[in-house]
Amino acid sequence: MYGRYAVKRIIYGIITYMVIIFIFSMLFNTVVETTLRSLLEERLQGEFLQMDLGNYSAEQITELKAQRRDQLYRMHHLYSPFIVRVFWRAYNTITFNFGQSTNVTSSSGERDVGMIIAEAVPRTALLFTVAAVINITLFIFLGIKKAQKAGKMFDQSTSIITMVVFGMPSWWLAMLLIMFLSYVIPLFPSGGMFSTPPPEGSWARLVDLLYHMILPVLTLVLLRAWGGAYLIRNIVLGTLQEDYIMSARARGLPEQKVLYGHTLRSAAPPIATMAVMSLLISFSGGLIFEGIFSWPGMGNLFWVALQQYDIPVLMGNLAVTTLLYMSGLIFLDLIYGLLDPRIKVGGKA
Amino acid sequence: MNKEQIPVKRDYKPGKIATAQPSRWRDLGVSLRGFWKEFSQIKYGVAGLILLAIFFLMIVFEPWLIPFPEASERWRDISYWDSNPRNAAPGWINWFARQKGATHQYLRDPILEVEEQARFKVIKGTFSYDYRFDLPPTGLSLRGLGKGDLRLTVRLERPDGQEIELYKDSLRRRNEDELKLPLGGLQAASTAFEFGQSYDSAENVKRVNRHMIRPYNIFFARAQEGILLKPEPLPGEYKIHLDVVAIGQDAYIKDPYLIVSGRVFGLLGTDNSRRDIWSGVVAGIKWAMFIGLLTAFISVVIGVTYGVTSAYFGGWIDSMMMRIFEVFVSIPILPVLIVLSAVFKPTIWLLIFMMTVFFWTGPVRTVRSIGMQIREETYIEAAYALNASHARIIFKHMVPQLIPYAFATMALAVPRAIIFEASISLLGFGDASIVTWGQILHDAMNGGAILQGLWWWVIPPGLTIALMSMTFAFIGFSMDKILNPKLKTR
Repeated sequence: MYGRYAVKRIIYGIITYMVIIFIFSMLFNTVVETTLRSLLEERLQGEFLQMDLGNYSAEQITELKAQRRDQLYRMHHLYSPFIVRVFWRAYNTITFNFGQSTNVTSSSGERDVGMIIAEAVPRTALLFTVAAVINITLFIFLGIKKAQKAGKMFDQSTSIITMVVFGMPSWWLAMLLIMFLSYVIPLFPSGGMFSTPPPEGSWARLVDLLYHMILPVLTLVLLRAWGGAYLIRNIVLGTLQEDYIMSARARGLPEQKVLYGHTLRSAAPPIATMAVMSLLISFSGGLIFEGIFSWPGMGNLFWVALQQYDIPVLMGNLAVTTLLYMSGLIFLDLIYGLLDPRIKVGGKA
Repeated sequence: MNKEQIPVKRDYKPGKIATAQPSRWRDLGVSLRGFWKEFSQIKYGVAGLILLAIFFLMIVFEPWLIPFPEASERWRDISYWDSNPRNAAPGWINWFARQKGATHQYLRDPILEVEEQARFKVIKGTFSYDYRFDLPPTGLSLRGLGKGDLRLTVRLERPDGQEIELYKDSLRRRNEDELKLPLGGLQAASTAFEFGQSYDSAENVKRVNRHMIRPYNIFFARAQEGILLKPEPLPGEYKIHLDVVAIGQDAYIKDPYLIVSGRVFGLLGTDNSRRDIWSGVVAGIKWAMFIGLLTAFISVVIGVTYGVTSAYFGGWIDSMMMRIFEVFVSIPILPVLIVLSAVFKPTIWLLIFMMTVFFWTGPVRTVRSIGMQIREETYIEAAYALNASHARIIFKHMVPQLIPYAFATMALAVPRAIIFEASISLLGFGDASIVTWGQILHDAMNGGAILQGLWWWVIPPGLTIALMSMTFAFIGFSMDKILNPKLKTR
């Protein structure tokens, strides 16, 4: 039963992804065409500069150029009607064939958009997973503490902090921390992943990496831990009012066991949802955040591509971001089914 | 059955109609009063309301609150700001700082002497400037109205009796024109260097880079050794002499005044384009409020309607609507919005539209599950049996019950919209015809405010974003607390 549900969910996910890519393709098609045209023109000029055209007359060269242009346009479906082009681009994106970038290059100098993105993904994953692990441990701990003494001093004050930081932009806090902790008081590096030049030896590199991660991770933890703790508190508080908790208490079970054994087990599915959701949201919201710290991940890639107006990189990065985001959502649904046996999977909703 | 066939008594007395008809509204009033009673128990909820009221008052009294009332319209008009100092700190830091910075001052109404000759006029003016600070002003600028052929000389007379020529040039204006003469630049730098050279030791003179000196630090410094490297302020009464020779009958200079560019300015200082940050931040309130409220309102209305409709119809309509919904929630909103703004360069209206396209999904899931419960109620069945239209059942019987929930969602959606707009503006894709906090932060980032530690440029706009979000979070969270009985701590 679960297997069928999982397959169904994944197939739905794939269909949704294709629909989204189709919409993106439709939205960006006109812009992409213009950049593609100028790109092809550039390539054409380059080709003709390298060719030996000594024994051709000017008219012949123009004719040759026109022929080659025609060929290139045909190759990139520039003569096809709008809808065909949209389908073609969507197909290319889904098969990870993002094409060449206009300006942005990978660290090894390549211009293949796929390579550029493949390079950025692990860096983003590193930063946000570390932050998320710290965050999740912290907010589960805080949340349970809050729920235990709901309405008391600690709970109240941390709830207020939750609301105070609720709308604080993470990039603004990042700007402040950089300003005060790396320029006014030079404690931490202001950005990047490694010092320049990067230190020799893998051990020194790791230390350097961790040193560069302190400030971004600190920003994320300072902002996100409170909201998570508040939600966990609400989930745990809701569970604590169930009858079986009362009966567990009435049986004389120690409070620790009631809390961590009974309550946390049944509160696990929403907590897991929350944890994954917080990772996903910080991942998609980390776009600007990464740019501030010039952490060379996907967010920074967006930033760089926006500044250089590199449409193929933007499209590719957007497609990959969407793919990762959606995979997270599907993963969430799948573990939800596993964690919560009460949820009927595969049946009618 | 046609509605017109229902016999309607038309001889009700007005009073009776008033009590019989709007009973639903009376119920709403009673429930609202109950809601308010609970709401007023929550301290931070009330605090949120008070903050909201303060924000609204600031919007209403904006022209009286800011020294530059046209800040909103002329934020990018350089000429509107050009009498302000550049990168000046807020005025109140003089109360805390060890070294007091010179304040921004206008020296008006000089003592004027006019000497009429046959072919020309000689106008002599003297301004006096009382200097009692540790950090000298960053410059002087002469303003006034002038016409014709003018020969201008400006001299600074120091309390120790020294005189420095700050400016000497001739101008020609065909028509009456506003004169804006900054008394600085290369000319002042070399004057300052020469002035310092005569007092400082030869060793110090060699060590100083004559292109890097700040002339006004030297003009307002004690004439002693070290004036070039470590100028010490010389407080006292400074006199600035303005000598104008107006050649020709119709040449004149009118209402001359001096601007002393301060180290500190106004409530929140200025940015590197001389704009008053306090004015910008206050002018930003109305835009943030407008963007936040409008986006939240539209998207919640759409979301609630969508969810209820989906729940009410059920069956294939429901599953189809849910599929569409799933497509929208699977999109990472911020990246998509940013890329869209980069490509389409939206105005504020288009931006609000784009945000609502993605934000309406917020309340759908909860609304749908509540709607499913309401659908099973007998009065819905009764309404259906009375041949009420679908729209009537949805909007008259189902949606009103969701209004409290809708308000809570709306309150929590406002900060989101504000942050999204700020994020997009931070990247430089905001609407250039208005001023928002995100745009101020964008300028701050590009202007090197972080690098130079110009905290008054970075902190206030972000803080107001956080404050306004906090206001709505206070309100939203307290509504949530009332609507979610499980969360009661007692």
